[in-house]
Amino acid sequence: MNNDNLGALFQRLPVETYVVTFTVILWIMLSATAPNFMTVDNISNMMRQVSISGIIAIGVLCTIIIAGIDLSVGSVAAFCGVIVAQLLSHGYGIPISVGLTLLAGVLVGSINAAGVGKLGIPAFVVTLAGLQVYRGFALLVSGGMTVGGLPPQIKDFSRGTLLGIPNLFTTMLVVAIIVHYLLSYTRTGRYLYAIGSNSEAARRQGIPVFRMTLIAYVLSSGLATLAGILLVSRLSIASPSMANAYELQAIAAAVVGGASLFGGRGTVLGAVAGAILFTTMGNGAVLLNIDPFWEMVLEGLLIALVVYLDNLQKKRQSGL
Amino acid sequence: MFRKITLAASVAALALMAGPQAHAQDTIAVIVKATTSEYWQTVFKGAEAAGKELGVKIEELGTPKDDAAGQIAVLEGAAGKKPAAIVISPTIFEALGDPVAAVTKAGIPVIIIDSGAKTDKFASFLTTDNVAGGKAAADAMASCIKERTGKVAGKVAFITAMAGHESLDSRDKGFKDGVAAYPDLKLVGNRVANNEEAEGMSLTADMLTKDSDLVGIFADNAQMGTGAGTSISEKKLGDKLCLVAFDADKGEVEHLNDGSIYAVIVQDPFMMGYGGVFNGFAAAHGVRLPKNIDTGVGAVTKKNMNDAAFAGLMDVTKRKMSPYTGN
Repeated sequence: MNNDNLGALFQRLPVETYVVTFTVILWIMLSATAPNFMTVDNISNMMRQVSISGIIAIGVLCTIIIAGIDLSVGSVAAFCGVIVAQLLSHGYGIPISVGLTLLAGVLVGSINAAGVGKLGIPAFVVTLAGLQVYRGFALLVSGGMTVGGLPPQIKDFSRGTLLGIPNLFTTMLVVAIIVHYLLSYTRTGRYLYAIGSNSEAARRQGIPVFRMTLIAYVLSSGLATLAGILLVSRLSIASPSMANAYELQAIAAAVVGGASLFGGRGTVLGAVAGAILFTTMGNGAVLLNIDPFWEMVLEGLLIALVVYLDNLQKKRQSGL
Repeated sequence: MFRKITLAASVAALALMAGPQAHAQDTIAVIVKATTSEYWQTVFKGAEAAGKELGVKIEELGTPKDDAAGQIAVLEGAAGKKPAAIVISPTIFEALGDPVAAVTKAGIPVIIIDSGAKTDKFASFLTTDNVAGGKAAADAMASCIKERTGKVAGKVAFITAMAGHESLDSRDKGFKDGVAAYPDLKLVGNRVANNEEAEGMSLTADMLTKDSDLVGIFADNAQMGTGAGTSISEKKLGDKLCLVAFDADKGEVEHLNDGSIYAVIVQDPFMMGYGGVFNGFAAAHGVRLPKNIDTGVGAVTKKNMNDAAFAGLMDVTKRKMSPYTGN
């Protein structure tokens, strides 16, 4: 195969190629070295573990695609988790509590979008402020204490399975399919990528930039809220310190999955695969008894390596 | 738990000596590490209780989260207002040493609580012996294993909430030393989390995947205890695995009740706030205090959690201070 053919091949590779390849290699290696890796229990464990970070990553991806960012998702998940727990512990039923909490999440997203789209403040700054503000609200609403005394049924969802698949994982799959459809098969999706590639050009073409910004940030906050509710279901308590630094995990998952922080590029499959890769690494590190400090180093190096390979491919695509 | 009796008794004597009305305008500043945590809120509650009994005004200060530079600014600001005494829990040992010494030099007595500072210029230091706490966890785990299997043998592991925190490292050291005293207990793993419940939960599940024959896990703070307890409860392993965790927040108490946590190691943050203020008041009136005071730890299981000696440690609203019993 000569260089031209190789180049052509690289151009056809989808953006998720590297993350999927790495994950598959890691799975094969772990199956060979860790005796308990490929067991029904462990796979089911990992499915539960990946779901919440996967859902948050899908949301953050939507903001990254329009060349934005959402650093507030971890705090929003904690804030909304505390809200739903407070409502539940005060005797409001599950439907009302969850409904009101999701509304709060949509409101948070609208505020972020207004800051970015109407006031013109950089997304990094708006959502960095949000990271502080919503963590503060989480502490205020909980009084700095763990919120307990929730109805026992709250646990049932996250512990349950459907056809052998954990409900949490099914939830992530449903979210992934809906957002994937939105991004890949609708006009809204095309607009989002267009804004991320060149916001000014998109505006001149008559694309409603603010409405699209609103959609991206509401999706991000809304999914972070959903993740917060699921976290409460998993833990059967809400603590104002939960979901700490989840925004970084989510951004890392999206970027390792081929999203570009400059916008216009990234897929749901990539973000989910990124989340699976990190969950697998965490699981593998415990099973192989890798020193926890080395685990952090390895994870960081992996992010750098995957993004480097991905950038090489991008350069080839643009003919450099 | 019982070592504090001497403290409470001396404090009671002081209270009688000084009389609450005599110094009604005194203010004592209480500076904690992180105002947003349940633990430090309990310290404030203890300080308030002592303030009420002494008739002094308590100023509750601190940074929202661990922030040494911020805490130094808070300390300097508080000292500028010339309170009768300052009670402080230094965020970082090295960083707060000189600022604490400077306040002492300015003539304001400083009572240190919970964690130390790199100086000997303070009036008194009230703290939990974390190494003893870790050892108590190992002993509670051993008696649980014995209770269930008839012998103290098998694989055990522990979860560290965060890397590089002096109090957590001391607990872990105490636990490791404690386990070493039982020749048939084998320490097979240690994971470090990001002080986040869900991570504690995942690590517990993964550790059980690696060693399905684990008989005991030690979780070294409230977040890890809640996470590990949730994982054990989800797997319904409460009657097989002996989980022992530090502190007693709502999540942990829930799992103590449902049997997923065998024992919690409780400290006495209320007494740190209460005793801190009392000692600050005493020092402000020229009383020489013992340099080091251990506020004690206790191992609480489902069986003894409602005993009078522990009820106030588990739930601060049930706390009744009697100067003659310490609880």
